[in-house]
Amino acid sequence: MNIANAPYHKKVRKRTKIFTVVLVLWTFGIFLRLLQLQVFSHARMSAQVLVQNQAKIDIFPQRGAIHDRKGSILAQSVPSLTVYYTPAAGEPLDLRMKPILKLQPVLELSSKDIERVKTALQNGSSHIPVKRKLELETAEIIKGLGLNGIYTREEAKRLYPQGPLASHVLGSVSVDNKGQGGVEHKFDSILSGKKGKQIVFLDARRREYHFETIEEPQRGGDLVLTIDATIQYIAQKELERAVQEHNADWGTVIVSNPASGEILAMASWPTFDPNSYPPESKEAEPNRAIHHLFDPGSTFKIVTASAALESRWVPMTETFDCSKGSIETAGTPIRDHKNFGVLTFPDVISHSSNVGVIQIGRRVGPKALYQTIKTFQFGTKTGIELPAEAAGKVWPLENWTKRSLDSVSIGYEISVTALQMLQAMNVIANRGILVPPRIVKDIQDVPMTPKRSVSEPRQIISDETARNLVSILEKAVFEGTGQEALAKGYTVAGKTGTTQKFDPALKSYSSSKHIASFVGFVPVENPQLSMIVVLDEPKTDEYYGGQVAAPVFREIAKRVLRYLNIYPDTGSNRTIIAANMGRKNRP
Amino acid sequence: MVRKKLNRKELALGVLASLMIILILTFYLWHITENVRLGYDIGRGENRLQALQKEIKKLETKKAALLSLDRVEKKAREEMKLADPREDQIIYEDSYSRRMP
Repeated sequence: MNIANAPYHKKVRKRTKIFTVVLVLWTFGIFLRLLQLQVFSHARMSAQVLVQNQAKIDIFPQRGAIHDRKGSILAQSVPSLTVYYTPAAGEPLDLRMKPILKLQPVLELSSKDIERVKTALQNGSSHIPVKRKLELETAEIIKGLGLNGIYTREEAKRLYPQGPLASHVLGSVSVDNKGQGGVEHKFDSILSGKKGKQIVFLDARRREYHFETIEEPQRGGDLVLTIDATIQYIAQKELERAVQEHNADWGTVIVSNPASGEILAMASWPTFDPNSYPPESKEAEPNRAIHHLFDPGSTFKIVTASAALESRWVPMTETFDCSKGSIETAGTPIRDHKNFGVLTFPDVISHSSNVGVIQIGRRVGPKALYQTIKTFQFGTKTGIELPAEAAGKVWPLENWTKRSLDSVSIGYEISVTALQMLQAMNVIANRGILVPPRIVKDIQDVPMTPKRSVSEPRQIISDETARNLVSILEKAVFEGTGQEALAKGYTVAGKTGTTQKFDPALKSYSSSKHIASFVGFVPVENPQLSMIVVLDEPKTDEYYGGQVAAPVFREIAKRVLRYLNIYPDTGSNRTIIAANMGRKNRP
Repeated sequence: MVRKKLNRKELALGVLASLMIILILTFYLWHITENVRLGYDIGRGENRLQALQKEIKKLETKKAALLSLDRVEKKAREEMKLADPREDQIIYEDSYSRRMP
């Protein structure tokens, strides 16, 4: 080392020391700051960062489709566009509203929509949906506007391509794709799948610059219904025609396959289009087939007859004097619609004589009748896979009055749903076997198919009783009150019902307000179809079940049997003409 | 300092080793870029697949709407003037007459 340079080296060393100390202090300062940020204020700071820079949003999964039994689409979700707004923080409200006002004509935003966005901005929302369910093509138009803070995202839109077809069975969905009514509601958890989660990263001006999916959405399962779209269409059209022709308040039709319990059609009128849910009229919303309770009237006589035959209190050959045309019941006369004279047991039912059935009921007694009513599952939900099914009303035996036995025998003082009445008729069609009705055939594309509690078919009345009832009900259609239900070429069994409605104002049964119904099955020997038709308050001259409901049964049955290739089993059509339609080689 | 003269064999080995390293590195780089390129291709393909699947769903729904029974019946009756057959126009084939489906 050069001695002459010693002071210079000393100076350098001193500077180096100072620099090193400054550097160490600076580093220490940084270390302390890091310690403060990362350790002592970690929770607060990280929360602040999350609020400022990230937004966790839900990814809505694709909702499962609903098909009819033949695979026709009844409901399906298709991609649509939702426009969101992420406003820049710190700007005055007027400035933040500018992009929305520019969007107003493009998205046809109503003043209500504008007000909603404004309220959300005032509440400090950072991710505001502006409009939902738009066509995907709108994205390009919005992009072209170059508006700050306006983003689009794909979401699902529920479509019902067949419009009002089976609307009461299907239900609909709300704006956030939640099931509302029908199977959409009942199977919402299966159809809707599982929501995913996405983190949206925002820049200093709270604008999105990156997405990260933290949980993939899980697609919803598909439902296959037992409904046949064509049968549903036929039932719906015929019901609509009948309601309008008879100026009825409402009506319902259920068509089922008695052997399997599968519901092939379930229609209610008035109806609605699930594409524009909720319906304008509240009257259109209820599924009358399972929600509405009514006194079944004469259709219920099948239960009284069943009790009589099953308990062996009344043999088939027994006769009843119905010549007076009325019978006293707790001081009030109950009349027949005409004087029948002396009728045999089958004739009492086929001609629907109140006088005769009351006598049968008295022979059976309240206990046996009540027992049979419970055996037929009245007062209990059928368990069909639809929401808000009514259980019906059967008064406990101890609450029965002196009049109850007579009233219940002819279908009063008891409330049922149309589906329960059809279930009872199916028991007879199935020769005594109760097969619970069902409307869901299959659930597809679900990782864990949920267990469904489907009751097993079981014999509830003897084969002999059921066969006797079948012959009585065939007679009721062939020569009794149900002649209008006879579809040419086919054997039909069924029972008409004309119920006087209870008028709460008069506190008695009205003589001008009726419910007309018909329940039956076809063909008699090998029932392929069973059906109930109910029309409320027909306001034309014709109001009897045999005049109003039975023709609806006939028209639907004729068309559906032809559609199902079920050939006539009686009459001239048995002499078959072989048609040459290019199928000569068929056996 | 005396510089050691490399013989041809050593030189060739050196060149060969260098070439090998360059080749391996080039292959590695090619492999990486190809992976990235394929990743992009797969991504594009997946996006296209998703778009097509969505399109299929839309078309299926449109088809279902076009084939809706209400619409078909209106067309048949109003535009094509079709009507339901009369009872006497329906002919049943013998061999199928007594067979229930």
